[in-house]
Order: sequence, then C-alpha cells, then structure tokens
Amino acid sequence: MKLERITIENFRQYYGKQRVDFAKEDQKRVTVIHGINGAGKTSFFLSINWCLYGKSFENVKVVDNVGELMSKEAVSRAVIGETVRTSVDLAFLHNGERYMVKRSLQGIKQEDGTVRLEENDNFTMMRTRADGQAERINNPIGTMNSILPVNVREYFLFDGEKIDNFAKPEAAAQVKQAIYLVLKLEILERSRRHLDTVATEYRKELKNKSGKELRDLLEQEEKARADIKKTKDRIYDLHQEKESAEGKVGDIDKRLREMENTNTLQQQRDRIERELKQRRTEMEEVVSTVRDLAVAGFFVVAEPAIKKAIQLLEEKRERGEIPSDYRQQFIKDLISKMVCVCGRPFMDGSEEHKALLAKITHGLPDALQDEVLNTCAVLHAFEQRTEKHRADLDAAMRRRAELVDIIRILEAELDDVSRQLKGSPLEEISKLERQRENFRADIQSNTLEIGSLHVRVDDFTKQIAELKKEIDRARKEEKREVLLSTKLDLAQKAADAIGEMYQTFADDMREKIQEKTKEIFKKLVWKESHFQDVKLGPEFNLEVIDRYGFSARPELSAGERQVLSLSFIMAMSRVSEEEAPLVMDTPFGRLSSHHRNAIAEHLPTLADQLVLFVTDEELRDEARQSLEPRIGAEYRLEFSPRTSCTEIVEVR
Amino acid sequence: MQKERLTKLFETFDPAVRSIVLGVLDIEQEHISMEKPRVKEHIDEIVSAVAKKELERINGQEPA
Amino acid sequence: MDIPVSRDTVTIDESVHYIYKQLTDGTDPVTVPFKTMKDVFLWAASLGYKRGERRPITGKKLTIFRWAQFSSQNDIPVVKAISLADGDDITVLLSQDEMLNVVEEYANAGIHDLRTRLLDESGQPLWKLVNTL
Repeated sequence: MKLERITIENFRQYYGKQRVDFAKEDQKRVTVIHGINGAGKTSFFLSINWCLYGKSFENVKVVDNVGELMSKEAVSRAVIGETVRTSVDLAFLHNGERYMVKRSLQGIKQEDGTVRLEENDNFTMMRTRADGQAERINNPIGTMNSILPVNVREYFLFDGEKIDNFAKPEAAAQVKQAIYLVLKLEILERSRRHLDTVATEYRKELKNKSGKELRDLLEQEEKARADIKKTKDRIYDLHQEKESAEGKVGDIDKRLREMENTNTLQQQRDRIERELKQRRTEMEEVVSTVRDLAVAGFFVVAEPAIKKAIQLLEEKRERGEIPSDYRQQFIKDLISKMVCVCGRPFMDGSEEHKALLAKITHGLPDALQDEVLNTCAVLHAFEQRTEKHRADLDAAMRRRAELVDIIRILEAELDDVSRQLKGSPLEEISKLERQRENFRADIQSNTLEIGSLHVRVDDFTKQIAELKKEIDRARKEEKREVLLSTKLDLAQKAADAIGEMYQTFADDMREKIQEKTKEIFKKLVWKESHFQDVKLGPEFNLEVIDRYGFSARPELSAGERQVLSLSFIMAMSRVSEEEAPLVMDTPFGRLSSHHRNAIAEHLPTLADQLVLFVTDEELRDEARQSLEPRIGAEYRLEFSPRTSCTEIVEVR
Repeated sequence: MQKERLTKLFETFDPAVRSIVLGVLDIEQEHISMEKPRVKEHIDEIVSAVAKKELERINGQEPA
Repeated sequence: MDIPVSRDTVTIDESVHYIYKQLTDGTDPVTVPFKTMKDVFLWAASLGYKRGERRPITGKKLTIFRWAQFSSQNDIPVVKAISLADGDDITVLLSQDEMLNVVEEYANAGIHDLRTRLLDESGQPLWKLVNTL
C-alpha cells in the first residue's frame, strides 16, 4: 500500500475540504506534517483510520466517539434543516493498482443546534481498471484484509504514544501476536486447523458409505445372466427333444397307416387330430372375442350414469335453457337486423325484441350448447348399443361352451382309437401304440416345461432390468465416493504439509525478526558496546543481552526501551516485505536528541513510504538535516484559536 | 513478499497439495480480521475443484 | 370444440398401481384380460359410479396414460356421462380438468371392487369379468 492523497472534509477541527498529497517517490518518500500539540495531528491520524476501517471493523473498535467526528464549525454554520457532511477520501496504490476509499457521514441540523446523524456511514471502495474506468469493489472487507487487515494496522499506522509497548516485559503476548499477524503465521495456523477439520468431516462422511454394494450387484447381475443362459439352453434342448419325439410319432403314424390291420384306425386318428386342431384355433379366436367384448363392456356397467346424464341434458333442453332449434348466433343476427324469427320486423324495446334478448341472456354460451347437443345424441346411441353388446357376448360365451364340448368329445374319440390299438392282439401294434403314447406324453410335458421356462426367462429379464437401475445408481455413488476419498486425501495432505513446514517457517521468521531488530537497534543506539545481542525468545519476549550474557533490560533507559520497540516495529515491516507505509504520530516525542537523530537518519531506509507527524521540537537541527533530502512533501497544521479550526498548509 | 515466501515454502510438495494450501491461505487472509471466520465452504470448494482435476488427470493417464 | 384444457394426464394413487399392473401384465387373455391401463381405468370408474363411491386420491399421484388415448367413440362419452351424472351441473362438460377429477376419484374407489371381483378367490379373471356384465 502506498498512500497517494487524502481529502478531509469537516472532520473534527478540519473545516471544509482540505487535502494532503503524500510523497511517494523512491528518493523522496517522506511526508512531514508539522503541528504543535493539539493542532490536529491526532485527528489527522484518526481520519486515516476512520476512512479505512470506520468506527469499528469486525468488532475491533477504531474510533471512540463517532459523534465528535463532525466539524463543530460546519455544524454551527449550517442552517436548520440543512444537511451537514463529514467525509474522508483516501487514494492509494497497491500491487500496481489504484484504489479509492471514501467514507462519509451526514446528518440534518436540528433546532437545538445539534445534528441528527444518519444511522450508518456511507462507505465505498473503488478500484481503477486497466482501461481507466473506476469499478466498485463488492467485497471491501476481504479486499482490505488482503491489503492491510484491521488487526494489523497498528503496526503500520503507528501511534507514537504506544512506542515502548513492545519492550515491556509483559509485552510478550503482544509481540507474539504482532509477529503472527504480520508475518502470516496466524494464517498458516488457521489454514492448517481448518483443513484438518474439513478432512475430518470428509472422513466421517466416507465412513458412512460402503464400496461393497456395487460389487454385490454386479455379481447378482452376472448370476442372473448365467441363469438366463442356462434356461435358454434348456429350452433349446427341450425343443430338440420335442421335435425328435414328434418325428418319432410321425414315423409311427406312417407305419400304422401302412399296415393293413391298422390303417383304418390310423386314418381315423389323422382325421380327428385335424379337426381338433381346427377347433382349438377356433377356441382361441372365440376367447379373444370374449375378451375384447368384456373389456369394452364397461359402458354397460356405466349404464345408470348414461341414463342419468341423458335425463339431465333433456331437462335442460326442456326448460328452454338450450334452444333446441335456434342457435345463439342466429338469434343475435335477428336482433341486429331487428327482424323476428318469422320475418317480421320489430321495434326496439318491443315484446319480440325482449323475448329474443331473453333467449340470449338465459341461454348458454355457444361452446356449451354444442357440447350438450352432441353429447346428448352420442349418449342416446350408447343406450342402444347395450343390448347388442350383451347379446354378442352371450353368443360368444355360448359358442365357447359348445367348443368345449366338441373338443372334449374329440379328445375322447382319440383316446378310444389309442385304446383299441393298444389292445390289439398283435404284439407289434400294441407296442407301437404304447411307444407313441409315451412320446406324446413327453411332448406334452416338454411343452409345459418350455412354457414355464419362458416365464422364468421373463422374470430374470425383469430382474436384470431392475439390477441395471441399481447398478447405475451404485456406480454414481462410487464416483462420488472416489471424489470424496480424493478430497480427503488432498485435504489431509495439505493440512499435514502446513504442519510439517510451520515450525520451520515460524522459527525462520522469528530469527529474521530477531536479526533485523538487532541490526536496527544497533544502528540507533550508541551504547552498543554495552550490548551483545538482541534476542527474541521462544516465548516471544524481546531481550537485550549484555556482555555478560544476561538480560540487560533493567538497565535500559526509557528512551532505549522506546527505540527497541521502534526497532521491532520496523524490523517487522522490513521482514514482512509488505509494501506498506509507516505512518507515525509523534515518534520522536519522548526520545533523547541523540536517539532522535539516529532514527531520523535511518528511518527513511526502513520503510517504503514514511509519513511523520511531528511537533517542531521533535524535528530540529541534526534530525532535520538527516531527513531533509528525503522529504518529498511537507505540511503544517495551523490551528486558529478563534475558530478552533485547523488549516492544512502546504509548505513544499 | 511474504506471499512469495509461503509459495516457496511449499514448493517441494505435490502440485495439487500446494495448490490447495495456497488457495486456503488466500481465503484465510481475506478473513483474517474475523475471529470466527466462516471459511469451511470456501475450503471445500477449493478442495473439490483440485480433487476433480486430479481425478481427470489420473484417469487420462490410464492405458486405454 | 374449444374446451379449455389444462391437463391431459390421467392419474391414479400410487398405492393401487400394483392392481393395474397385475391386471395388464401378461399375454394370456384368460388370466390377464386387460390390454391397457386405460381399459382397467374405465372399468374401475364405471364400477365406482355404480357403487356410488368416490374416493379422493390421497397418496402420491402416478400418471398412467393421457387423455388423448381415450377413444372419442367409445370412451369419452362414458367419461362425460359419469361427470354429468355425478352432479347437476352441465358446465362440467367444458372443463377437462373437472371431468378428470370426477372419473379419477370414481376409479380410485372402483379399482378395489374390480380387484376383489377378478383376483380374489379361485377362478379365471376373464370369466369373472364376463359375469360382472
């Protein structure tokens, strides 16, 4: 983040619109803003914070008293009913893109001199696109978190009053938190934890599923297929057997036809069998006819409904609700022509006219009328069909009964022929007939078995269709499982990877901070020969080690403690390598002149951009001289006791 | 930059794992100011996307 | 004829679907007399009317065929007759929805009667069907 410009409007003691352009070039990266105490340095500092984060941000309080943000001068100058407005506009660069953040608060001046503020402030964050157009950012919180999170800001927007915080012995927790946040250890920690949680959830989900199902289903399908094949093979064999038996029967018949003693009987048999076949075919047809008639006979059952419906329709007709001869259109035509049905013209409002109108208004819409007329006709026709239908059905059933008898008789005749042949005194003949009988029995039993096997094949086929559906379902499940188990694997590996590298990284960062803090501290403190080392312990306590190897903290002067703190801050800024400005409010306030000078000399190299709020006493002589070549912008805050307002004046 | 350091930190790991780690780090960064961030859904999205790609890659490598 | 049409699906209660299947699943006309679900439906509706019983469909609705499959010669007149005979209002003829509601509910009652007559006890369904007439 590199600040470009800020525009403050009616913010605290800043009346009207005032602007500061920040120095941001490489060689001249320092902006100095002078002001005596109370002139408005703190307010200015606050304006940056308020603009970026509002009065509170994700439960982090940024501004204490919002009501006091509005310029009193602006309020007093407004008339009753007028809208008074406070706003801060900040433009900055980040990763090569320009952002503009604006926050404003407004209210209406009341009679009692106060302003009734609107509930919420207005906040917009925009980014300039490559083509120069400004586009609104929809996720300001996420974006600010990627640029300068609110809980990290105090290490960059640095309040000089807090300067010795980190060097206090009890500051270890703060130091740790600072490092965690600024150096992204916290992010690593959270990532690892959350990935672990996510992996655990995947694991739980996966346990509930079983991979067995698909395998079982496939086995079942295979078995069903094998069964079908076996059954079909059996059907084939049975057919072969049947054919062979039929052939044998044919041979026997031929024999019997040729033999003198039996040829009459055999011919008789031939004749009976032919007729039997015919009758059986006829039987099939009759049954089919019966079935068609029976199924179509539902209307006979519905006879009461048909009767009642006809009655209802006739009623409506009789009551004149349906003109049976006229149609609506016809009547309308008559009316428009003012001519009666019989042809005579009638007068408007006359009896004939009224009667015709009545026919239309009490009549029914054309569509319904058509329906009624047609339905009535059709239903009448049905009434007549009932009788015939019943008669046809009876006739068919009678024929069936006849055929049953005929067939029975024919079968009895066949048995008779067979018996005679079996009873023949000639051994050969009776043997042939008995064989024939056996073959016929086989044929019959095979036919039955073939029938039942066909049913079995149908069942198996249905079963396979069902299984296929389930297999598809199981396959989809499996795909989901595979995905889930891959997710589990990856999430866990990711969590473990972070776990593995975390300590290395944390130790590395801690060391870097330690080294950098030491380096900066050495540069800034003249008593360096007294100090051996600066250590950042595993418990994150900042220690200065004297030449005897002991902690020298008790001996540090107040100033040295402050410098240590400042060194730590700057070390973090350097080590994190984030492009961020250091905005420091009265950083030199409590330092000795020596420290002040040392800091002024080194400070510019320790930050990408520096904004210093100073009182005149702070920045004098040598300190001023060291800083001078780097100053790119300089302002003075001029406070007028008369108006209690501060004006920002550009000095260079 | 810290981001580059982190990328480098995980460079020895499997690219799929690395891609998840870096993706999640970004999400966490966006939510860093929240005490109880709701990131699970985002994380699941990232993991799912990477997992799907991985499966495609693996299946593509199977001999026909 | 412009009868306003909203739906053309004929539905039954899921719980009686098995009866419809049993009466149409097979090739032997003696044991499985009905060829289509429509045939079963019309018989069921007629029986339902004869008993004077309407049963609203409370379960999940299954579509078993479409209005377009009704024969205008043989089937639709009966549908209309039952709809008319159900109440007193001849305007029901203008609403295919209404007529469907009526016959579906009669069929929902009558189907149980049909099942009892044809499938319970011994005897072939076709002959029992003939006896019903």
